[in-house]
Amino acid sequence: MASGALAGGGVSRAGGWGARRRLAKGSLVLPAFGWTAVFFVIPLILLIAYSFGHIDIITFTVQWGWTTRSYSQVFQSLYLSAIGRSLLLSSGATVACLLAGFPVAYYISLQRGRRQLILLVAIIVPFWTSFLVRTYAMTNLLNAHWLGSGKLLDTPFAVGLGIFYTYLPLMVLPLYVALERIDPALRESAADLGAGGFSRLRRVIIPLAMPGIVAGCILVGVPSTGEYVIPSILGGGKVLMYGNVVADQFQSTGNYPFGAALAVSLMAALTVVVLAVRRASARREALA
Amino acid sequence: MKRPSGLAVFTGLVLLFLFAPIIVVVLNAFNSNNTLDSFGGFTGRWFSQAFSDSSVRSALWVSVRVALVSTALSLIIAIPASLWARRAGRRARALLDGTTYMRIVLPEIVAAAGLFLLFRRVNFGLGIATIIAGHVVFTSAYATIIIQARVATLSISLEEAAADLGAVPWRAFRRVTLPMLRPAVIVAGLLVFTFSMDDVVSSAFLSGNTVTLPVLIFGLMRFHVTPEVNAIAAGVTVLTLVTFSLSAALLGLRTGASIVVGARPEEASS
Repeated sequence: MASGALAGGGVSRAGGWGARRRLAKGSLVLPAFGWTAVFFVIPLILLIAYSFGHIDIITFTVQWGWTTRSYSQVFQSLYLSAIGRSLLLSSGATVACLLAGFPVAYYISLQRGRRQLILLVAIIVPFWTSFLVRTYAMTNLLNAHWLGSGKLLDTPFAVGLGIFYTYLPLMVLPLYVALERIDPALRESAADLGAGGFSRLRRVIIPLAMPGIVAGCILVGVPSTGEYVIPSILGGGKVLMYGNVVADQFQSTGNYPFGAALAVSLMAALTVVVLAVRRASARREALA
Repeated sequence: MKRPSGLAVFTGLVLLFLFAPIIVVVLNAFNSNNTLDSFGGFTGRWFSQAFSDSSVRSALWVSVRVALVSTALSLIIAIPASLWARRAGRRARALLDGTTYMRIVLPEIVAAAGLFLLFRRVNFGLGIATIIAGHVVFTSAYATIIIQARVATLSISLEEAAADLGAVPWRAFRRVTLPMLRPAVIVAGLLVFTFSMDDVVSSAFLSGNTVTLPVLIFGLMRFHVTPEVNAIAAGVTVLTLVTFSLSAALLGLRTGASIVVGARPEEASS
């Protein structure tokens, strides 16, 4: 890093060259910021703008304005139950992913060499395999005789299982990274000081793995709340989640302001949750 | 060899749970018993039936084109941004990392709905171009995270040596930087190609009358479990495994795996 700073100093001493170099450097990030601004930030702003408009019942066109009509509609029981179900299913699946993923990640982090590589690849391959196919694979599984020949399909359980199954690799990978970084000496000295298996886990390993736990929970919990594909396939149109309700407004009902209000509410709620979690974990780390 | 621990057994069971359903799909694609109640012997009939369907073939072609362009654009966005990031100021860098992280974590349906409104607003016809616009939003974010993690491990002294020896920036980039980034670029390219080929949500919102393969399969899967759907699903699985094997063959399994594992979106905005 020091040599980089020196080289930078040399460039700026060259005067006009320095400004041009800086400009050239800055232009490297233009494609990224440009694409993000046009196709991500502006659409989100547009969503917010639409959410405060309303739909004219007679002409069926969008009327602009600053009405919160669409937001009060969000709190109707029909939608509230889909929202509540989304939160319940995604948080339940996140906890399940954590409980199943942690031992797996921990085991992989204890291995060395070839064995560790093979186990890692065994997690990466499902992550790399088509999400759609993996969701569909759950219908095949639930159609099996020993699982009630499809009786469990179209139930909240099937949707939760689908989220758990498809998102599990996203939990294991960050957990593994965090666990892998733990110095084995720490584990050993905890053992030498008389900490048993459980208290070693609770007092040493879990606190040190916290960044990975937070990361895994966000990577699983946040995107899965807005799931659309999994409830469509495994819920058979009977178990709706947030994504289905939003999609309906845009694709069949045509009530864009209401759809926008739903999307903005989801975005706002998830942002609050993520910021709170990150803050709490940052504070924890500062204390440690 | 000591007795396997509880942890090892548990890991084995989780891996079995991860793989068995996919294997069942692939086996059922060859199952000649069309009720799929039991295994009735091998047949290739479902494959020929599925792939002689012209709607499947044209959807596949749309998806391949979308994925190729999305991959190229993602790399064009991600490579320079990653190089920029290591010398950027703290706040500018936080802005890049924060927006990259958001593009991955935000439920796709929110971003896709916003883009749909944007294209409706400016009266831009939905089709291949708009699908690509939507895919690149998140595929470029994945590519940026993977390549940025690699850039962070490189020392800049080699490039500086090239510059000292009189190489102009472009030449230094092509002869020195790019070769060092090659493994990450290959993994990023193959992974986002796969993700683009697999995307349903953005494609469904932004496709208009154009049908991509995942959108077509999604429509079929919502209503039936049939041997043909299994055959298409098996075909897609093979396709995604080919891109994975390609990265392993080009880079070696260890390098490829370490690049995937080393890319950590969770650290992008901390």
